[in-house]
Amino acid sequence: MLLQVEEVTKRYRRSPTPANDSVTLVVEAGQVYGLLGHNGAGKTTLVNQIVGLARPDSGSIRVSGRDVVADPGFARRACSIQPQSQVPIDGLTPRQAIESLGRLRGGDASVVRARTGRLIEALGLGEWSNTDGARLSGGVKRLVSFCMAAVAPGQLVMLDEPTNDVDPVRRRLLWAEVRALANEGAAVLLVTHNVIEAERSVDRLAILDHGRVLAEGTPAELKAGIVDDLRLELVVDPDAGLIETPQFAGTHVVAGNRITATVPASLAGQAATWAQDLRRTGRIEEFSLAPATLEDAYVALVGATSALDNTPEETDVRAA
Amino acid sequence: MSALRSYRLLVVWQARRMRMFLPLGIVVQGLFALGIVAGYPLLFPTIDRTTILYLATGGPVISLITMGLVAVPQLVSAAKTEGTLSYMRSLPIPRLVYLLADLTVWAAVVLPGVVFAVIIASVRFGLDLQISPLVVPSVILVALTATSIGYALASLVPPMIAQMASQILVVFILMFSPLNFPADRLPGWLAAIHSVLPIQAMGEVMRGTLASNSFPITLGAFALLGTWCAASFAATSVVLTRRA
Repeated sequence: MLLQVEEVTKRYRRSPTPANDSVTLVVEAGQVYGLLGHNGAGKTTLVNQIVGLARPDSGSIRVSGRDVVADPGFARRACSIQPQSQVPIDGLTPRQAIESLGRLRGGDASVVRARTGRLIEALGLGEWSNTDGARLSGGVKRLVSFCMAAVAPGQLVMLDEPTNDVDPVRRRLLWAEVRALANEGAAVLLVTHNVIEAERSVDRLAILDHGRVLAEGTPAELKAGIVDDLRLELVVDPDAGLIETPQFAGTHVVAGNRITATVPASLAGQAATWAQDLRRTGRIEEFSLAPATLEDAYVALVGATSALDNTPEETDVRAA
Repeated sequence: MSALRSYRLLVVWQARRMRMFLPLGIVVQGLFALGIVAGYPLLFPTIDRTTILYLATGGPVISLITMGLVAVPQLVSAAKTEGTLSYMRSLPIPRLVYLLADLTVWAAVVLPGVVFAVIIASVRFGLDLQISPLVVPSVILVALTATSIGYALASLVPPMIAQMASQILVVFILMFSPLNFPADRLPGWLAAIHSVLPIQAMGEVMRGTLASNSFPITLGAFALLGTWCAASFAATSVVLTRRA
């Protein structure tokens, strides 16, 4: 195992609850491992402890078998990181920034140059490769910051919300590069609160909530509990008033004019008829019924309120 | 990777990052020096040789100190707020090398201003400064001390406080420090404070080496500066290595 986190607890001063509470997880080489959770779940705290910016109160962290709490210098050599905040590249062009980082990480000049070129090409950054960092958009900066972590990658590559601000087309390119890092033998620890993207991209994942690991496993294992469920999604007509959620609906989430609920697969027909009726009477604009996703499993675990931290304000449309 | 290679790469990195700021910083430093050497004399109806010498040698020191104690804390605080400092700390670079590379770039911003101030003084007042070769290590020591104190200040206290402290320092350095005037004009209590602070010593080593025919070079001043330099360097290294 490449990264072994055991019973790590971290409490910041002046905070009543621990940022990490007995966190245990293992990441293998060649694996993309997702660390999921809402804002403040303790994901970035864990990353900071692995790379030696913070120190755990108790527990152990090993990278390639070495205790990195005792030897943070080794951690910095063995891990490359894309931080959640933007990296300091004003005044540098993407090419200069990526190459400099590769060389600062100890990469050979010609290897770094070739790999920089390949990454710029693969992520479609060519047109900006020689533009001053100060003039780049947030999404392009994010991609450059990914390249800086990937150009001379450590055995463990940690990516903190790598797709934030990135356009949909380049997101796909980015995921392909994340997978390529794992295929080259690195262990990739991916921090995100985007459950839908994570489902498609990770081999295993842990769901963190209030510093604790709520669940851990492959996406399929985490969905096992809801394998008999379907996902019913309704888009409500804002003028149609309240909709009473029927008995058969399980956990449901309201976000704007969208209601998502789980429905037992055995009641699919009943649910479809009910939704179709609502549509016919104009109370909803559209609906869909599909297999439950990792997001549904996540919501069931973490609870609807925490999962909604990135959704717009609720309107006056509510599930009764 | 060798420390020397890291140092070289980091100096280039930081110089590129500050590419916009570097020319501006150099110009501001030059103007500052000009203001002190050519502008201060306007305060006096008549001006004697000693006053002129104090202004001519005080200008470069003030230039060096304000850069280290004012500009550096402001920029380092900004780097702290943006998360830049954490990012640099997550890279496999020895902390001391990072600090030295940063100080090198800062020194490069200040030095042209120092040279400019000396030239302006010589031309404006027709001074025949007797510059000792010891001026080179003196300038380096003063620049290093001022920037490491500034760095330590920014590393140790929250950004808002660092910014305010640096503003207060400007007034203290310009008006209440024996750089442009002899220390015996200070009230006793302030003179006592200055005898342990590094500002007066910075003035003394620069004066002694820029006008070695008129001012003595005192070993004590070098020793005091060396102590401050080492202490602030150590404080900054500790802060840069500290884990939350």
